[in-house]
Amino acid sequence: MASITTNGPDNGADRDPVSVFEGHRAQMIRDRMVINVTLGVLFVAFLAWSVWISRFTPDRLATGIPRIFEYFGTVMPALQWDVLFDARNEAGRFPAGSIGYWYNDFWKYLRLIWETILMALTATILGTGLAVVLSFLAARNCTPYPWVGALARRFLEFCRGVPEILFALILVFAVGIGPLAGVLAITIHATGALGKLFSEVNENASMRPVDGMKAVGGSWFEQMRYGILPQVLPNFTSYALWRFEINVRASAVVGFVGAGGIGAELSHTISFYSDDRVTAVLLLVVLTVTIIDLLSERARHALIGKESLK
Amino acid sequence: MSTLTFHAISDADIAAARKRHPKAFGDPFVTTLKAASWAFIVVYLIWSLGFFEIGKLLNASDRAWALMTRMVIWQDMAGWQYANIYKGIAQTIAMAFLGTFLGTILALGLAFFAARNTMPVGVIRHGVRRLLDVFRGIDQIVWGLVFVRAVGLGPLAGVLAIFISDTGNLAKLYSEAIENIDRKQVEGVRATGADTGRIIRYGYLPQILPVFISLSLYSFESSTRSATILGLVGAGGIGMIIIERFRAGLFDQVAFVVLNVLVVIAIIDWGSGLIRKRFIGERGH
Repeated sequence: MASITTNGPDNGADRDPVSVFEGHRAQMIRDRMVINVTLGVLFVAFLAWSVWISRFTPDRLATGIPRIFEYFGTVMPALQWDVLFDARNEAGRFPAGSIGYWYNDFWKYLRLIWETILMALTATILGTGLAVVLSFLAARNCTPYPWVGALARRFLEFCRGVPEILFALILVFAVGIGPLAGVLAITIHATGALGKLFSEVNENASMRPVDGMKAVGGSWFEQMRYGILPQVLPNFTSYALWRFEINVRASAVVGFVGAGGIGAELSHTISFYSDDRVTAVLLLVVLTVTIIDLLSERARHALIGKESLK
Repeated sequence: MSTLTFHAISDADIAAARKRHPKAFGDPFVTTLKAASWAFIVVYLIWSLGFFEIGKLLNASDRAWALMTRMVIWQDMAGWQYANIYKGIAQTIAMAFLGTFLGTILALGLAFFAARNTMPVGVIRHGVRRLLDVFRGIDQIVWGLVFVRAVGLGPLAGVLAIFISDTGNLAKLYSEAIENIDRKQVEGVRATGADTGRIIRYGYLPQILPVFISLSLYSFESSTRSATILGLVGAGGIGMIIIERFRAGLFDQVAFVVLNVLVVIAIIDWGSGLIRKRFIGERGH
């Protein structure tokens, strides 16, 4: 069959459609194999590099892991059922093994947790207020001048890019040890995070009310106040509540660098004692965070539910 | 012939309109409630700012100003030990990667025990879920401190802290992904007489793998962020260099390191965005 000419070296049986298909398929499988193997090798290499860099070697693990279990063994409370609910004895002390003994400093912890919650609340209110103002400047459809918008967005990026505990570290140096540094640090970070979310909400708002305000001669402030704000307020509230949950967690740890709240007690207890005080504080912190989460979630659902019913 | 006169709305007109349509001007109860909550917020804010001694801010201006200027004016840049800084950043990334990798593996296992459709035994499911709650409920930096206490200063504590908190987060998200899968594929595989391992391999995994990869990538990103501060409690990485130089009063170097960290985090975000697009498509997660 000389009439069949091919432009490649292959001819005859190889031109049969089935083998073309099979050849193509084999080629695709090969290509995919190559990509997968390359990625796999890269992944393993990166993993090996990580193990090497972070010194995650078997001998360190072998000495480290038993110590973890040992440590968790020492911080568990040694509660005894028969004296569990016993009150103070004649000497004014709780018997060993009772809850009172475990939570000897309960009122101190409670006062610090109260301070932690107040820190989070104040930071949330301040952060929300700042974020509302900045979000109108940062949103592309609301900003009075484009350069103000760009500047506001960069500022918000910086505020949320730096972790709050770093801000806390710096502020403790500037304003001294105490909850004020923590409140300010969390406020800055919350402003950054909320400002971004708020400005996205603003960008999704309808511009018609704003046009209406513009048409009757409203200033920029009036356009925002009566044109945008009523549309976005429910979303703002919901985000602010959600931020409050995060801020409670944050304010529980800024104390690590001396910025107030239960964190200082937590870090002190963990660093200096190896007994049931550690679990006592940790348990209280987890409990507080969980309760706040549940309450705030309920409040948010009530808020959104009411909005959707309208 | 009467002339048409225009006049501004007077206060009396508003009062009359208010009387005719009381509801249109807002429910007085709701208005009072709103005003009361605003008043409460304002009063609380003033009280709490007093409680937190906001006045300290006034005395702080000198210190704060000195700090700011020393952060902005960079001096003796030749002697900043850059190798140390970039080694610290590399260590942070390595810690985040290793911790997320290990967390992913454990979470993958635990998720099947925490999902309702793969773990019918309620006691085990709830036990696993509560364990995950503890992993998640305690902040990563607290875990860092705990592990520093248990295994000593250094990146091992950091890896373990990331490992534990990532396990808690990822296992919860994974188990939700497992609960949301399409049952038909699983039933199809089961109908061929496959054993449990094969049901998971061919029934579950193909459906949940894209979600898993996406979530793990997110987790790697956020772990890199948090790994930068784990060093503040001594758990390795760049945080240790930050706090070391901060304590030494080298604020210009601290500012430089933080800027570098921000850039690295931005690069990682961008890179993982690319990977996510490449493997999962725009829609994935």
